[in-house]
Amino acid sequence: MNFSKIARVAGREFASTAMTKGFIIGALVVPALMAALIPLIAILSAAAQPPADKGTIYVLDHSAEVFDDISSRLSPEEVRQRWEDRAKRASDFAKGMIGKAGDSASDSIDNAMSFIKTPEFRIVPTAPDADIEEIKAQIREQLSTKAALEDPMQKVLAVIEIDADAAQKLNDEEGLGSYQAFFRPKLNEETVGEIESGIRWSIRERRYDNAGLDRDMITELANVNARESKEITEEGERKESSGIATFLIPVASLVLLIIATMTGGQYLLTTTIEEKSNRVVEVLLSACSPMELMTGKIVGQMGVGLSLLVVYNSVGIAALIAFNRLDMISGQTIILFFVFFLLAYFMLASMMAAIGSAVNDMREAQSLMTPVMLTMMIPYFFFMPVVRAPNSMLSTVSSFIPPISPFIMIMRVSSTDPPPAWQIAAVILVTVIAVFFFLWFAAKVFRVGLLMYGKPPNLRTLIKWIRMA
Amino acid sequence: MGAGVSNAIMMNGVRKTFGPKVAVEGIDLQIPQGSMYGFIGPNGAGKTTTIRMIMSILFPDAGELSVLGKKSAVESKDRIGYLPEERGVYKKMKVANFLMHMGRLKGLDARGLKPKVMEWLERVELADVSKKKCEELSKGMQQKVQFIASVLHEPDLIILDEPFSGLDPVNMRLLRDLINEQHTNGKTVIFSTHVMQQAESICDHIIMIHHGKKVLDDTLSDIRTRFDPHAIHVDTISDADQTTAIAAIQGISAVHKHEGIYEVKVADSIDQQQAMQSILAAIPVSSIEIKRPTLEDVFIEIVTEGTNAQHHDQDQQQLRAQLLAGSKGEEEASS
Repeated sequence: MNFSKIARVAGREFASTAMTKGFIIGALVVPALMAALIPLIAILSAAAQPPADKGTIYVLDHSAEVFDDISSRLSPEEVRQRWEDRAKRASDFAKGMIGKAGDSASDSIDNAMSFIKTPEFRIVPTAPDADIEEIKAQIREQLSTKAALEDPMQKVLAVIEIDADAAQKLNDEEGLGSYQAFFRPKLNEETVGEIESGIRWSIRERRYDNAGLDRDMITELANVNARESKEITEEGERKESSGIATFLIPVASLVLLIIATMTGGQYLLTTTIEEKSNRVVEVLLSACSPMELMTGKIVGQMGVGLSLLVVYNSVGIAALIAFNRLDMISGQTIILFFVFFLLAYFMLASMMAAIGSAVNDMREAQSLMTPVMLTMMIPYFFFMPVVRAPNSMLSTVSSFIPPISPFIMIMRVSSTDPPPAWQIAAVILVTVIAVFFFLWFAAKVFRVGLLMYGKPPNLRTLIKWIRMA
Repeated sequence: MGAGVSNAIMMNGVRKTFGPKVAVEGIDLQIPQGSMYGFIGPNGAGKTTTIRMIMSILFPDAGELSVLGKKSAVESKDRIGYLPEERGVYKKMKVANFLMHMGRLKGLDARGLKPKVMEWLERVELADVSKKKCEELSKGMQQKVQFIASVLHEPDLIILDEPFSGLDPVNMRLLRDLINEQHTNGKTVIFSTHVMQQAESICDHIIMIHHGKKVLDDTLSDIRTRFDPHAIHVDTISDADQTTAIAAIQGISAVHKHEGIYEVKVADSIDQQQAMQSILAAIPVSSIEIKRPTLEDVFIEIVTEGTNAQHHDQDQQQLRAQLLAGSKGEEEASS
């Protein structure tokens, strides 16, 4: 084996694959663009909010005691105050999540909040004996005329009818009454929510008073503010892994591993078929041996897969740093990730090199590719059971079966309940042995297949080739 | 085996089978350094398999082989230039970059490689396409680029498998001159062809392969002497048939008229010069020459040897037609 030749082949393989516009755009720019688009979408959806609702709310208060509270609760000043407070809380929360990510992010959150438009209400009491149907008719009339109102506040948004016993029982046999709201159609969800919660708050306020209870005291008593939950591990304590996080890291690892292996593998298949169908392969074989050629090609495409991994991993780690959740992965996991990538890649690449050398064009490769692709699908089927129970019998056994072992193991390793170290070591050992078997097989097929033109081989011919080589 | 040192290639009972098919059956040969050898034989004779074994792309099932004094070409690949029959280029690569890549693969230093590539491209009149992608080149141009790739690293042994296929006459001459130049510079050159005339015009030693066996291994002049047909070609001035007139001359054993030219077989005991003079005296002649054996004749002679007389002529005609079809196809491909 001449290493400078292998390096030469690998260099060309890498350059011809990764240094192309297609690869850079497809593999790097597109995900980057998508990442950039997410905040943009958030801003756009905020900007696309409908104008704030403004108008009159009629209150027919049969109880004769709730109106004042409603009037002050839904007054423009109080509504605006509450909305601002809420926006501030959301923004503080988001900033807390992003943590050290910087001012630009919090600026964009502030911007997004400024798009939220506060509704404005005029609360009008009706005469106690007023006919509610008349007010409803007023809404219908406004809807049918379509003409713009002189004063936008004249627009009737809602009619609220409050029961006489809403805040106080009239007799002991029946429970407390309630209210009924009639809304103009197509109001913003937030407007309806604001009005309804305002009414409920006001009715509750009256009820507390009537029962002789102190509102502040009830609030205080009702509020149980727990400190952040932690998980106790062998090493110490850590933030509790929330449901989504337990799935997020393993599934991201699995998908990333599959993408990186498949990308390198696919390119290897394509370039091998290309070299064969271009008839450039024998020219190359005049300069290097089939083993040197295959090794160089595998190493070159490994570089392609690795560069994908490095880019995506960096993005992932940056995201974790941004959300201050770097504790979710360890340095060990990252190292193991690269180990499992290499193992998975070498197995897939061997198969791809063997197939690529055996066939004459991409079409012929398809039939031989089917079993390979099916094998690559298996880890997806195992995703749910493995992530739910990373140390179950199924998870443990399946992580010892090459060629799916690296994929299963990366899910287990990156889960919140990683397997013991001896298992990791054993799986790596078993897989390394498998890798050598795959490479041996590929080398045999590669050497014979490269110079065979004509009918594509079936499994029997492949075995014959292996005997031949 | 002191001679082994000066042999560029030595094969001893080399045999190669593909499943039930025997591609090469026990070939022995010695190719001395600095010689110019032609491998000839019809398509499928085993030429490419033999060359691939020399290049260690295939390995023999049996027999011994040495290349440039080494057990196999693996150890001396950088000293061999090889233009395979199945040849191609990286379509998307630029011409100069492709040649530099091949040069580096052959162990050349990056330094000084580019001027060298450019110099070669100029010699084959391709300097202006050095920055073009290989796929933009015509087939003939690609072939010249591939030839450069095989000699760029100044190898001691150059093996060219069907180097002229697909070339027009002008480029064929250019390539022939380049090959001759390599030979003059003391390089060992081996090339294979199924077009016998090409071998005749360029080689000094011929190896003929048929059905995986070596059927001829001799210098061109020796072959001509050995296979001298002892015949004279005669063209007459008049259109009148002269067959009987020629046949009547003493010492003439047979006369055939073929496409207006008489092929006159001279009895073995008679000197050809003497026979020519007798013919000149007997009939009006426009041209007369001693018939020289072509490799095609030699090949057919060898292959049909031993078949009984009845089938002899028929076999010869069939083979000739086969060979003709082969070289015809070649000419069509190059036009």
